[in-house]
Amino acid sequence: MNILVSCANGSGTSLMMMKSVQKAFKQLDLPITKIEHTSLAEGKSTARSYDMVFTPSNFVDMFDEAKAKGVMVIGVKNVMSDKEIMQHVREETDLVK
Amino acid sequence: MSQFLDILLKIWDYFATNILTQPAYMIGFIVLLGYILERKPLYESIAGFLKAVIGYMILMVGSGGLVSSFRPILTGLKTRFNLTATVIDPYFGQNAVTDGLLKTFGRTFGDVMLLLLFAFIFNILLVRFQKYTKLRAVFTTGNVQVQQAATAFWLLLFCFPKMGRIEVLLVMGVILGLYWAVGSNLTIRYTQDLTDGGGFAIAHQQVFGIAFVSWLSDRFKAHEIKSNKKARRLEDIQLPGFLKIFNENMVATGILMLFFFGIIMLVLGRPYFNEVYVSSKGASGLVPGGSFLFYILTTSLSFAVNLAILQLGVRTFVGELTESFTGISDKLLPGSVPGIDVAATFAFGEPNAVTIGFLFGALGQFLAIGALLVFHSPTIIIAGFIPLFFDNAAFGIYANKRAGAKAAMLLPFCSGLIQVFGAALISSWVGLSKFGGYLGMFDWDTVWPIFTVLMKFLGIFGIIAVVVILVVIPQLEYRHDPKNYFLMVTDYEQYKKNMAEKKALK
Repeated sequence: MNILVSCANGSGTSLMMMKSVQKAFKQLDLPITKIEHTSLAEGKSTARSYDMVFTPSNFVDMFDEAKAKGVMVIGVKNVMSDKEIMQHVREETDLVK
Repeated sequence: MSQFLDILLKIWDYFATNILTQPAYMIGFIVLLGYILERKPLYESIAGFLKAVIGYMILMVGSGGLVSSFRPILTGLKTRFNLTATVIDPYFGQNAVTDGLLKTFGRTFGDVMLLLLFAFIFNILLVRFQKYTKLRAVFTTGNVQVQQAATAFWLLLFCFPKMGRIEVLLVMGVILGLYWAVGSNLTIRYTQDLTDGGGFAIAHQQVFGIAFVSWLSDRFKAHEIKSNKKARRLEDIQLPGFLKIFNENMVATGILMLFFFGIIMLVLGRPYFNEVYVSSKGASGLVPGGSFLFYILTTSLSFAVNLAILQLGVRTFVGELTESFTGISDKLLPGSVPGIDVAATFAFGEPNAVTIGFLFGALGQFLAIGALLVFHSPTIIIAGFIPLFFDNAAFGIYANKRAGAKAAMLLPFCSGLIQVFGAALISSWVGLSKFGGYLGMFDWDTVWPIFTVLMKFLGIFGIIAVVVILVVIPQLEYRHDPKNYFLMVTDYEQYKKNMAEKKALK
């Protein structure tokens, strides 16, 4: 899985979210090949080359183009919650058998 | 024996010259220290050290670029109109400190990194002894910590220019560490409300602002209930789609810079930039016969470019810094919450509130900047994206959650006015404005100027006053509701039940 985590400025929130995503994937026993955090401006341009994008739920529509290209885009409400991220992965993707 | 001491001194000297006074290696060293304390494998510690050093070096590239594109414009305003232009933006503010620290006080930026370490350690200690201090939050936002340490360091030196090196670090370490712990702690109650027990506090640049805005919103609400008015919600408002472009910081910064610097450069006029070209021997300025329009476009956008480089650098080393800091604080501190970036709140509540807060804040800021021009203020403030967006969007969210649309418009609008006037006053007074930048976020236009006034005029008693004020705040918070004070962090569901019962009793 190549994962992009993206927030408004790309420094604070996305970093915390990246840590939560790593925790969640570890618990789900899913491998991460590459994970990066960026600002929305950058993320919008590079999202296509990732398998999954995590972003705060209010910015989900910024990634509509990537979504159309088949990238899984997941909106997260609480960036600190690995539980919430696990739930999204279970419900919105078919990664967990 | 004396030989042995000589050797020790030599080692210390070498360390001081090459690491302590060099911010890039200092940050690397702090990260390395954190990783070693966490018992990370050696290869990871070394990788972290390298990444932190490289990140800081990238920051210096962006920083140098900002200074060199800004300088001709600053000089022009100074010589032609005797004006100082100051961008309110945390990164510009950090830059101004870096640029002016040696020239003004003869100190090095490496000390700022040491201050950051001192303040962080003090923050941890305060939370460790929460039984007495009543503090429940640790500041973990590295980029913000660097910016604040820089500005706070400057403010203290401004108040006590003769203070010795160690004393400065100790005094400011205590004050800044207290501000971090107390400020984040103030946001817990309101943030838990907003996120329904999200389990984090805010550690950013408007923590006192958030508490104040939430408190005011509650007054709004009480007033509306009393007068039996139905509060309108922002949820019912349809916003135009083009506002989406402001979500991207590069686009937003580009537009802002083009607007402000475009006007300034037009006022300075073509001949001035032709002169710069001649006097700098072609290093900067406008080639005779070149297009002025595109020169303005290039210069304005190069601000966005350098800011992006600078932020990439910050992201690179802050990732490591946060990793090593959170590792340390997680180990030491049960019963506390991490203070994180204010942007984490944007996903909660109403997306419209972010945009509305931003817009009304911008309206306030632009009006205030207009007023500065009309009243011939010697310092002209240039609006930066970060105070405009992050402060006011956050205020919009908290205000809307607690009191609906009216509060979410009015309070960010007032905040915009305060940001500009407060920043203009403090940055001119402490002499940061002439280096072209000031932090300019809400707390640093309100709370910190008050601290600065206290310390400048009361000397040592001012320091004591500031410390006492900060120590008392959490005690008062605790007194307000001792039963539920720690519960909202440790067991939110139970806390919610207690609050509901309380409401029913009223």
